[in-house]
Amino acid sequence: MDFSLFADPTFLAQNLVDGLSRGALYGVYAIGFTLIFGVLDILNLAHAATFMWCAFAGYLAMAGLGLPLPLGLAAAMVAGAAVALLLEFAAFRPLRREGADKLSAMISSIGASLILVSVAEAIFGTETRRFPSSALDPRPHLVGGLRISSAQILILVASVALMAGVGLFIRKSRMGKAIRAVAASQRAARLLGIDVNGVIVVTFLAAGALAGAAGILVALLTNNIVPGMGSQIELRGLAVVILGGMGNIEGAVIGGFVLGLVETFTIAYVPGGSDIKDAIAFLILFFILLVKPNGIMGRGVADRA
Amino acid sequence: MKRTLIAIAIAFVTLGAISAAPLPATIKVGSAESLTGDNASYGVPIRRGIELGVEEANASGILGSSKLQLVVYDDKADKQEGISVFNKLINDDKVSVIIGPTLSGTAFAAIPVAQKAGVPVIGTSLTAVGITAMGNYVFRDSLPQASVIPGTLAAAVAKFHPKKAALLFQADQEYSKSEADVYKAALQKAGIQLVASESYSKGDSDFRTQLSKLAARKPDIYVFCCLIGEAIPVLQQAREIGVTQPILGGNGFNNPNVIKSGKEAAEGLIVGSSWFIESKNPKSQAFVAAFTKKYGTPPDQFAAQGYTAVLILAQAIKSAGSADRASIRDALARVKGFDTVLGTFSFDENRDPVHPSTPITVKGGKYVLFE
Repeated sequence: MDFSLFADPTFLAQNLVDGLSRGALYGVYAIGFTLIFGVLDILNLAHAATFMWCAFAGYLAMAGLGLPLPLGLAAAMVAGAAVALLLEFAAFRPLRREGADKLSAMISSIGASLILVSVAEAIFGTETRRFPSSALDPRPHLVGGLRISSAQILILVASVALMAGVGLFIRKSRMGKAIRAVAASQRAARLLGIDVNGVIVVTFLAAGALAGAAGILVALLTNNIVPGMGSQIELRGLAVVILGGMGNIEGAVIGGFVLGLVETFTIAYVPGGSDIKDAIAFLILFFILLVKPNGIMGRGVADRA
Repeated sequence: MKRTLIAIAIAFVTLGAISAAPLPATIKVGSAESLTGDNASYGVPIRRGIELGVEEANASGILGSSKLQLVVYDDKADKQEGISVFNKLINDDKVSVIIGPTLSGTAFAAIPVAQKAGVPVIGTSLTAVGITAMGNYVFRDSLPQASVIPGTLAAAVAKFHPKKAALLFQADQEYSKSEADVYKAALQKAGIQLVASESYSKGDSDFRTQLSKLAARKPDIYVFCCLIGEAIPVLQQAREIGVTQPILGGNGFNNPNVIKSGKEAAEGLIVGSSWFIESKNPKSQAFVAAFTKKYGTPPDQFAAQGYTAVLILAQAIKSAGSADRASIRDALARVKGFDTVLGTFSFDENRDPVHPSTPITVKGGKYVLFE
């Protein structure tokens, strides 16, 4: 075995950049996921399918209509909000009205996810779409021996902005306070005169838009747009949410970076690491949960965010 | 004396009657190819090559009045699907022979079904080590990795004189793993040090960390063994992280989509190919013209191999004089020195193909001879 890589500072810095940008993506994806869990206490397993539809929306806007990147990002976020809204009205609200339990809602979201993926396969086919090379300059920027691609810069800037934005929104805005109230107790919030269904709709819109941002950013980073693309991030997103504390937004951000860095460093420094990166990531998840069973940041949009 | 003559005469008449037993009016040829998903970019050209071959064989009257009838199913590049499609072809459609499946991984799952049932199989894209070792009913006209890679490597060595090589492959894909092993052996034999070997798994789409790790060892050449879904992002991300050294691609890179989607990233890529579109072989030129006319797009190596399989099969059925599965197997095993679009073609004693291969490279957005 060759240990020389351990002593290579450029290689280390490169992996930090790669791991942080990977982690930022997981974070953006997981915030939307955890937001719905925090407010409604249900796992929305159609979040990955929403993410995939957004990647296609962004791809079609940029590659099909030739729109510039900011509009592609906007298109993906709008599409995400629209799909999430559809999910709320078709898959979740009818069950809530009937007073069905949380498990039914999760099953309903699995069904919705299968439908969303099948429809995408029927419309777009099952072959991978790729951006035309003009979408984003593939040449990396060289910063003192480090290679940073335009996609990575975009991901880091957009993710941090989105994470900060969501954090501020939940903490400071009137709607954010309403969301936290509904998360704490729907009954109490209703008694206080909060429009609970309205708050839930806003939550879905925000979660969908975040899935949208994650979708287009992953598409730009990997140049791989295919109806099955959600399955890769789905499990990781769930892991990040559990790692950070179910329903906890800051936890999802931290969990995302932890998973991204652990994955990257496993591939980079463990011999044969690419084969066991998932095993190591989940082993670490397991140990963190042994020490902190409620995740790094504990639980809840209501009490912590 | 007279009795002997009569006996001989009777013997001749009987023999004649046997050999003249007409072939059935239709001979069913089954095919299992990946027609959906990323690997459709291998499966669809193969199906088109097969269809063109069936059309030409039927028009040529090589089998007299009997016709080949093609039954094609989608194996979805999936092992379970491959097994069920093979069962369907063998038991429901009662085909005489099966062409396919598309991927070696699917083949290792599905072909034993045909071997057990005594149905001959011709692989047209299977290059992994051990395909024909599955049994005496298994043939392929796609060159095994071990007979292409040393030649491709030798050509690259002659031009670039590399000392150190780095390898990337898919750990959970039989084709890719087998190709990586063959490359490792070939590198060792050529005296080139393998300084780094990395892998990825199905569904991965970000290969930057693996590629950075390879690049950190400063290799003189890179070897990538990938199927098309990963081949394109691997190439693009390799260029993105600054790889300028020569890249040798495995058989998965014998795919025009590498150029179409990979664009500039594909420039300079070197691949060992069993067939080359600008070949001067008149059969090959006629095939390119007919294929392009029928489908509006030029053929690739996989289309040529699909087409060739049908013509070899028609020849074997003719020489067997029978559509019986065992007779076709025996006749296929005897194919020697047959003139095809791939060049002069024979099956060796292991039912593997013997014909020339050519290193090609991507230049100016198309495949050209590597010199």
